[in-house]
Amino acid sequence: MRVDGYAPIEDYALVGDGRTAALVAGDGAIDWLCLPNLDSPSVFGAILDAARGGTFELQPSIRFDASRRYLPRTNVLETTFTTDRGSVRVIDAMTIPNERLAPMRELVRSVEGLSGRVPMRWRFAPRFSYGSQAPRCEWRQGVPVGTWNAEAVAIANWDAGTPAWDDGAVAARFEIAAGSRALLAMTTAHAEPLILPGPKAIASRLRDTIAFWQQWSDARQYDGAWAEAVVRSALALKLMIFAPSGAPVAAPTTSLPEEIGGQRNWDYRFCWIRDSNFMIDALLNLGCYAEARSLFWWFMQATALTEPEVHVLYRLDGGIGPTERDLDLSGYRGSRPVRIGNGAIEQAQHDIYGALLETAWLYSKDQHALDADTGAVLARIADNVCAIWRRPDSGIWEVRNGPFHFTHSKVMCWVALDRAARLADLGEVPSRHASRWRHEAAAIRAYVEQECWSDDLNAYTRIAGRADVDASLLMLPIIGYADPGGARIRGTIDAVNRTLRDGDIVYRYHADDGMPGREGCFLNCSFWLVSALARCGRVEEATALMDRLVSRANDVGLYAEEIDPATGAFLGNFPQALVHLALIDAAVALSESRAPLHRRGTP
Amino acid sequence: MIASAIAGGFVGTLVMTTIIKAAAELGLTRMDLALLLGTSVTENRRKARAFGYIFHFGLGVLFAEAYGEFFQIIGRSSWWIGALLGALQAIFTATVLVNVLLPVVHPRIATSDTAANEIALIEPPGFLMLNYGRRTFLVTLAAHIAFGACVGWIVHL
Repeated sequence: MRVDGYAPIEDYALVGDGRTAALVAGDGAIDWLCLPNLDSPSVFGAILDAARGGTFELQPSIRFDASRRYLPRTNVLETTFTTDRGSVRVIDAMTIPNERLAPMRELVRSVEGLSGRVPMRWRFAPRFSYGSQAPRCEWRQGVPVGTWNAEAVAIANWDAGTPAWDDGAVAARFEIAAGSRALLAMTTAHAEPLILPGPKAIASRLRDTIAFWQQWSDARQYDGAWAEAVVRSALALKLMIFAPSGAPVAAPTTSLPEEIGGQRNWDYRFCWIRDSNFMIDALLNLGCYAEARSLFWWFMQATALTEPEVHVLYRLDGGIGPTERDLDLSGYRGSRPVRIGNGAIEQAQHDIYGALLETAWLYSKDQHALDADTGAVLARIADNVCAIWRRPDSGIWEVRNGPFHFTHSKVMCWVALDRAARLADLGEVPSRHASRWRHEAAAIRAYVEQECWSDDLNAYTRIAGRADVDASLLMLPIIGYADPGGARIRGTIDAVNRTLRDGDIVYRYHADDGMPGREGCFLNCSFWLVSALARCGRVEEATALMDRLVSRANDVGLYAEEIDPATGAFLGNFPQALVHLALIDAAVALSESRAPLHRRGTP
Repeated sequence: MIASAIAGGFVGTLVMTTIIKAAAELGLTRMDLALLLGTSVTENRRKARAFGYIFHFGLGVLFAEAYGEFFQIIGRSSWWIGALLGALQAIFTATVLVNVLLPVVHPRIATSDTAANEIALIEPPGFLMLNYGRRTFLVTLAAHIAFGACVGWIVHL
């Protein structure tokens, strides 16, 4: 049910083609699509401004109920509308091009009558440049075409009514009988002429797209528990990996609020170095070797311009920026500002060095040799960590009232130096400074054990010398900083359980972070708690929590960044890669705590 | 004269291609000559762009040869005469060559006679190629003037 024109965040499903992705609401409206790429301006942005953002609606024109699923093992969405006069099935997909001449991007909506005769309506209202530009309304060969500058979108239909332009939108009505079909195809072009394909070519690409996703899913190797959730997460992550570069976005959306009506609205359509070790670990665990290779080399290329310093986030093409700015949109249910760009780019976050070196370590450990140049870069990064770890930073949560001496950042600096030393032992990076790395790693450990521990809390603390905890401390056993069964780790997990947990979900912290307003519980932290519990041997507790968290997914198995503990509603950008990565890590950790997993095709 | 015309055609096409590409990136046009030309022989986008650039450079050299012939006939050459020829060529290209002749010979560009069929159809350019953006003709004019000026200047050297 929409509120003021906005569907609940959990009501959306994602379809995509590895270059961009669209959010489809349960009522058949596509309210978010950026063209031509994930980080381009939106053409459908009704999720951020219901009146002006642009949308593509397709639904029965009478009262209906809807149920949804992805076609098994695919990113192709099936919505079944049931009405008093019959039922109808809609298949939504962004097609993957084959050898035939295909549009630059193609969004297909295939309609099939299942029973009775159902009156349908559709309305195609593109608004370019984040809702700021209405289209120039034209026709090509009988097909409605909307253009603005170098952008063009066409909406072809077969047996879906007689469309007409009205006030910058194309709309039509039609009736679908049992056994009959209709087809709508949105084709798009950026800086090139539109391609206007015929229905058989579209149907062929749709079949190929379904087959591609099924083959990709079948090639995933995971024989542990919660396999369905793990494979769905893998499929969601694949949609968030920008295929032309191999870089993943943190989420395909911007400014979905962490609090309804609040200001915690951020653009996640960038690649965060912070996520790199989780991403490569998940890809390698699931047998996505090509994606892992592509991702690792993207990280090394993106950081080449700035090393030995590494930026918090990079654009999908490996560039830096753009700077953060506000858009003139009303925001999801009035949550303003709507931001594009991300100010975190200007922050210092020391945990990213640990993430990057851990990524290299995992990649190398999986029998992928590093070349000499990469080894030299990693050595310079480790040298830089020796120079900076004593400084305060903004931390993994990118607080805006810092910098502080975050425990998690110090530990990740320890990880950076530990992995650099291990890689040096393997001959993957130059070993000239290895003894210095070990010495500094020991100094970090001494600092953390002395300054970042509270006897009163019986836990590591969020910030050196403070007396509160932070869910990022759950990373300590996950990343291998300390013995998971040790007293200090057990105490820290208990403190997180005691102070940050609300039922089955976990807040990241309760401290002031320089931003007004509240936020929900973070789902990645909740899955980290499962991973931490599993690693310290509390398997039954972890299993029960995992079951409850898996049931928190929406009807198609996706998660937003956060959950409102009071209502269970999703908050924040959707779907969020880090949550799905944390789910995979938790499932693997729990499954391995029962019996070692083995990869398909390996002895 | 032949060698300098070939050189002028190559340099002129390079400048012209750069101007059109830059205009597309600036949102001034959706014209993509490489894609338009290349898809006359293949449906594969990557191959089409590669073929298209080869065709485009080949055509550029051929037109430069024609410019060279013209310079010989009138007995003089200069960048501004070349620019003038480029402007005339732009008008010919936008009104006849790409708008009328190319759709006739191109198997994948839609025309007013095209019915729905199974071949993916490229959006037709329209009069003055305005279907690809209202400033497309101005971009085409500027690119061809630059082409002609390059040819005239190099032939004059």
